[in-house]
This record gives sequence, C-alpha cells and structure tokens, in this order.
Amino acid sequence: MKVITVTLNPALDREFIIEEFTVNAYHRIKGQNHMMMNPGGKGINVSMALAKLGVSSIAIGIIGGYTGRVLLTELNKVSPLISTSFVHIEEETRENIVIVDPVNHTMTSINSPGPRVDRKAVELLLKRYEIYLSRAEAVVLSGSLPQGLTGEIYGKMAKKAKEKGRMVFFDMIDEYLTEALEICVPDVVKPDVRGSLTILGERLESLEDYVEAAANLVKRGCKLAVVSYEIKNDVVATQDGVWLISTEEKVDPENILGAGDAYVAAMVYKRLTEKNVSMLEVARFGYAAALAKTRKLAKEMPEYEEISEALKSCRLERLR
Amino acid sequence: MMVRDVTAVTQDETVENVVRIMATQFLSGIPVVTEDMRVIGFVSESDVIRAAIPGYFSLLQSTTFIPDMSQFLKMAAKLKDKPIREIMTHPPLVVNENASLAHVADLMIKHNVKILPVVDEHGRLLGVITRTNIVRAAMEGYL
Repeated sequence: MKVITVTLNPALDREFIIEEFTVNAYHRIKGQNHMMMNPGGKGINVSMALAKLGVSSIAIGIIGGYTGRVLLTELNKVSPLISTSFVHIEEETRENIVIVDPVNHTMTSINSPGPRVDRKAVELLLKRYEIYLSRAEAVVLSGSLPQGLTGEIYGKMAKKAKEKGRMVFFDMIDEYLTEALEICVPDVVKPDVRGSLTILGERLESLEDYVEAAANLVKRGCKLAVVSYEIKNDVVATQDGVWLISTEEKVDPENILGAGDAYVAAMVYKRLTEKNVSMLEVARFGYAAALAKTRKLAKEMPEYEEISEALKSCRLERLR
Repeated sequence: MMVRDVTAVTQDETVENVVRIMATQFLSGIPVVTEDMRVIGFVSESDVIRAAIPGYFSLLQSTTFIPDMSQFLKMAAKLKDKPIREIMTHPPLVVNENASLAHVADLMIKHNVKILPVVDEHGRLLGVITRTNIVRAAMEGYL
C-alpha cells in the first residue's frame, strides 16, 4: 500500500440519472443503469482513482451503522489494490444523493452532515493511522469532517506523516484548511472552493485574487497549490511561479462529479512514479485526469491512456 | 478470495478496546501487529473467553456446573484493562498470500479456526481469510 487515503466522513453515494429533472414533480427512473450506488467521500474516491492507475492504497476512516457496512462491502469489491481499515461507530454513515440531468445539463446534489464521532473512535483511528504510516509513501487528507471534529485533526495527521517523511496532500474546505495549516503545511494543497469562494479567510473574486491566494499558500511552505477557477480552469502556484491551466474543450457541469478526486489521485500518481518531475507537471497531469473524468457521465475514474489523451487538450499560461 | 481489510491492533491495546472493535465490526478475531505491520499475534473470541473464565471450566463442558456468574464477571472486569499481548495467541497462525486455498482450508480444519491473517513474504498483514471465503471459493470451483 503506497498511499493512505483518509475519509473521516465517508458517504454512500446514490446517483440517479433523470432526464428533464424538475423540483416538485414525480420522476420515474428509467432502469438499473440509471441509478448507481457507490462508496463515496473524497478519500475513498481518490483510492478508487489510484486503483485505476495501478497504485495500491489503504482507505481508512470512520464508518457507522448499516449504511457504513454497505459502503465497506461495496468498497471491498472495487479493486484488489484497495485495502481498508475503518473504525466502526453506531451512528449511521451519511448518504449523498446526486441527480444528473443529461438533457438540461444540470447536477443537483444533496449532501448530509454525517454522524457524530466520539473521542474514542478518533483515538482508535489515529493509532491505526500511525501503524499504516510505516508502509506508505504518501497521505491524502481530504473531504468533509463528521460532527464533533475540526480541521485540527487534519493538521495533526499531516504532522505525523511529515515526521515520518511522507508526502502529504490536502483537499479540503477553507475552514479546515486554515486550522490544519496552523499545525502543519502539506506538500500539495488543493483547497475545495465549491461551497465558498474563500481561501485563508480571503474572498476570491477577480483572477488576481486567485493568483494571490495560490501564491500565498506556496509562501506558507506548500510545494504546489492548485485553486479551481471558474469550473474548468485552475490557478497553479509552485515555488517557480503561477500559471493558469485551461482547456478549450466544453465541460458539462453534470459530469464534474469526482473530477476533483481524480485530480488529486493523478497528482499523487505522478509524484510517486516520477521522483524528479516538476510540480507544474504534477498539476498538469492532475488537470488532465480531471478533464478525462469529465468526459464520463458517471463517477467512473479515468484510465492512464485517457489522461494522456486529455493532456493534449490542456493549455498552459504563465501569470506570474 | 481474501478480504483486504487490514484492521489490526498493537500488542499494547487493552482487551476492552479489542473486544469493542471485534463487536462493532462483527469480527471473530483480530490480528496483532508491530509498528511495521508484521503480524505477531492473533486474538480470537475464544482467547478472550478463555482468559475470562477459570481454567477448569473448559473441562466441565456445560455451564450448568457453574454455581454463579460472579466469578466470570470479576475476571472479565479485571481483564478489560490488560494489554492484549497477555492473552493473544503467539506466535500466530498465518497464511502467505500465495498459499493455495486447499492449504488454507486444511489449516483451518486442523486448528479449528474461523479466520486467518494473510501476510506477504515479510510477514506483513495484507488481509484476512474466513471460513465463508473458503466455502464460497469451493462452491465457485476454485478449490
């Protein structure tokens, strides 16, 4: 297991494809191939994307109740490259519902908050995490937190990983990121700005705000910062400068589910397989993976060949 | 055929915590590992029960001979804070990832165990295999 992915608030993802979906109406789903049930949560998605790229990982976190068991059973079927070790609690793991409308090109998401996690479960998880660190090369800390936890836990886990010389990747909302950075700075950070366009408390409006935010994260010690800008563009900062990665390709909003996780997984893959690769190339490969993912409707992660193909559509522009 | 779940504990974990993990995850046993994930022991339900009852009870074959439960309760209370190394099976019975299913089945029958840790060439935990996994493999013609 080369990578540890941490999913503290996993979800059983239920995806429904409904043409011409509207609220306050009765909809009948066409058939089994229009409804999917997958293990979800950012870390788990990264594990699934890594498996597609031939990288073994161990998915750890906290799951609960009947839904948690269904999630684990499904996850154990995905790939022999994914090992698992989840702390089980009594409260139910959440379910996330996504309704994709391929006619009107809309995606409606309903995410639930997740269970309350007690101190004992967290202690058990941290003990296991330390054991698994001995065998991993990289750690991915990403996604939302269940009730009762703050971004401090991400900072603590990152610190333990860095003390053992492991690479650390962050993909989380600003609230957690701000708290985690007070404790430890990761190697790669991809702030999740989907819900709130804010990084380290600063509101993002103009392109210059995004450039400044990414550059600030590098100033704080990150080797690479990737900030999503207007869905299909990314502002990328390394110690050598700031770039905009974009594409002329049309990206349908209903296809972006899981694209961010494919992005992170591809960056991990690139860093693990090419030790001397530049951070800009790492970001470019991640961007291509996300683009390749958006060519698929369902939450199906891209293969290496699909990412290589998508790389041809990536445009790079130096901003600073 | 194995389950790639590497849930394990270290030998300093308390019996109470181990029982809690076994209960919440419906496990009949759990591997005990070192800091680099080498399997150094195994704790089964039987190990815990054996440690919580006086030795001669196993000879009686029936609980009707037990005068009252107080002795069991006292011993269980004393047991909960002890480190798992005091009651684990050591050295553990393990199988290599490349072992044939027939060999694994043979070991399970000989030693009367329900679950076995699966390890790599360095003895590091990769997952577990259960009796159900073996039966299923047999039904699917893999044995």
